[in-house]
Amino acid sequence: MKIKLIIYLFLCACFAQIITPLSMIARREFVLKHGAQYKFKVAPVDPYDAFRGRYVALRFEEDYCLCAKEDKLDTGQQVYALINVDDRGFAKFSGLAVNRPDAGPYIKTRLNYISGDKAYLDIPIDRYYMEEAAAPRAEKVYRQQSRGGKEDAYAIIRIRDGMAVIESLYVAGKRIEELAGKETK
Amino acid sequence: MNKIFLNWLYQELPGLVEKGVLSQEAADKLRQFYGQVKNPGRMNTGLIIFGTIGAFLIGLGIILLFAHNWDQLSRLSRAALSLSPLIIGQLLVLWVLLKRPQSGALKESTATFLSLMVGAAIALISQTYNIHGDAGTFILTWMLLVLPLVYIMQASLPAVIYLIGITAWAGNNWDNPVKAVIFWPLAAVIVPHLIWALKREIYALRAAIVSLVMAVCILSAASFSLGKNWPGLWVVIFPSIFAVIYFIGNWKFNQITTDWQKPLRFIGGIGLYVLVFQFTFKYCWQYLGSYSYGVNRDISFIGLLPDYLITLAIIGTAVLLFYDNLKRKNKLVALFGAVPLLAIAAYFLNMQSTFLPLLIFNLYLFVLSLSRIVAGFRLNKQVLLNTGMLMLSSLIIARFFDSDISFIIKGLVFIIVGIGFLTANLLYSRRLGGVK
Repeated sequence: MKIKLIIYLFLCACFAQIITPLSMIARREFVLKHGAQYKFKVAPVDPYDAFRGRYVALRFEEDYCLCAKEDKLDTGQQVYALINVDDRGFAKFSGLAVNRPDAGPYIKTRLNYISGDKAYLDIPIDRYYMEEAAAPRAEKVYRQQSRGGKEDAYAIIRIRDGMAVIESLYVAGKRIEELAGKETK
Repeated sequence: MNKIFLNWLYQELPGLVEKGVLSQEAADKLRQFYGQVKNPGRMNTGLIIFGTIGAFLIGLGIILLFAHNWDQLSRLSRAALSLSPLIIGQLLVLWVLLKRPQSGALKESTATFLSLMVGAAIALISQTYNIHGDAGTFILTWMLLVLPLVYIMQASLPAVIYLIGITAWAGNNWDNPVKAVIFWPLAAVIVPHLIWALKREIYALRAAIVSLVMAVCILSAASFSLGKNWPGLWVVIFPSIFAVIYFIGNWKFNQITTDWQKPLRFIGGIGLYVLVFQFTFKYCWQYLGSYSYGVNRDISFIGLLPDYLITLAIIGTAVLLFYDNLKRKNKLVALFGAVPLLAIAAYFLNMQSTFLPLLIFNLYLFVLSLSRIVAGFRLNKQVLLNTGMLMLSSLIIARFFDSDISFIIKGLVFIIVGIGFLTANLLYSRRLGGVK
């Protein structure tokens, strides 16, 4: 009798252990499938230290938006960053909302800090994982690009209901995996 | 008869027979009289350790094999494969529960394997979807998923993983005391397991390891989460924690265990001594406020309330345990555990002058060491005698380095302290010879 109860309890624990990663997968897959696509300009965190382990550390080129003093925002506060697309097709943060907006694209995020009239955001996208062998090659390409002053890297982000998932990373108009692959040939 | 004592007796019997103290017959009769110990399946430590390491290596191997062809796989199949070690771990545990529910070693090693695989699955999925590197959320999710295994499998290594995990989580939130303080209820959840482990097998490595890890985690978490808005209160908080640890370490099972099996008493004692020794120095009281590790952020009173309550609860427990020992006439233990009370007094007196706290703790260390030396002689315990001597000499030497006394006198003091040591031990051995 007691062992039966233990097994039931264990099955409940198993369910929780499985459902947690599954929900992580499901939510991201949903956004990747149904979310709208946006191009965000990214800058290397430090061209010489961009690859920590197996991922590219990313920073949005414009990771802030303008705010007024009367907004009364706190560091660490949860906010919704509204998104606008400029004429060149790149997405930018156009404003902040404390409550969930009714319409329009936005990302749910937190305030990193406020400096002057700029509210810096803690963007939930800060890394792009790559295969182990490809990472050093990608780093080389990345460096060559930034040396020439052509730091035209951007990330394709899918956004839906405030959740953002990175789809791919482009450097000089090509997918970084493709560039890293060419490097070997 | 208590099964702890019985266990001890049965452990001793073969040795006693071998040395001729008891005849085999008498030993057998004793065994017959007391009957079988209802042994909760003594665990084979080696089997557990190697079983766990083996299971862990297999799990890593599986992940590496997949990772080899990672790039050729689609995102969804990568995600699905990330879950496979987790499912294998769950099936292993289920098999043990169904087929080998009595095997402590198998329960411990499969539960540990599963605990690690839960973390691996979440990490691999975070990697597949480039999920924001928020270490705190990752650790907390992982630990909450591991926690049920501690109780379902009665396994202590998952408890150790859990304790270390929640401490790391508290450390991750050290600048956010409102969050870090959640460590305490999270840690409290593991207390029933610790008590169970202590009751069941006082001798076993398991109880020693869990209590050791618990003590270290609590001490680390205290620095991350307590006294954040109360500059200098650490001089009360840490002695209180060490005193509680020390008192618990001295609880009733002390007749039979050897010293190394009582890590709590050891940690508590060492911690108390180190703190008291520190408190005999002037700098400690002079710059008390500036030693605060508080955060310079405005937090509302409500936000800090849990911090205050837990701090008060810890100090209160230390004081209560002190009175309990005093009442039961455990004078030596009570005296050592009196540090929190003195620290409270010193904390408030320090606002008037730094001299009084210094006086209190110098006197206290002096009395404490003397009482240990005397008790060492009286009870014939060389450990007591020598720890007392060590404390006394540390106090004397520290005070002489403090003051502007010539090197010759300082040298002489060293020689006198050394002679004191030798004489005390010599006297002690002579006395012991006389007793024999």
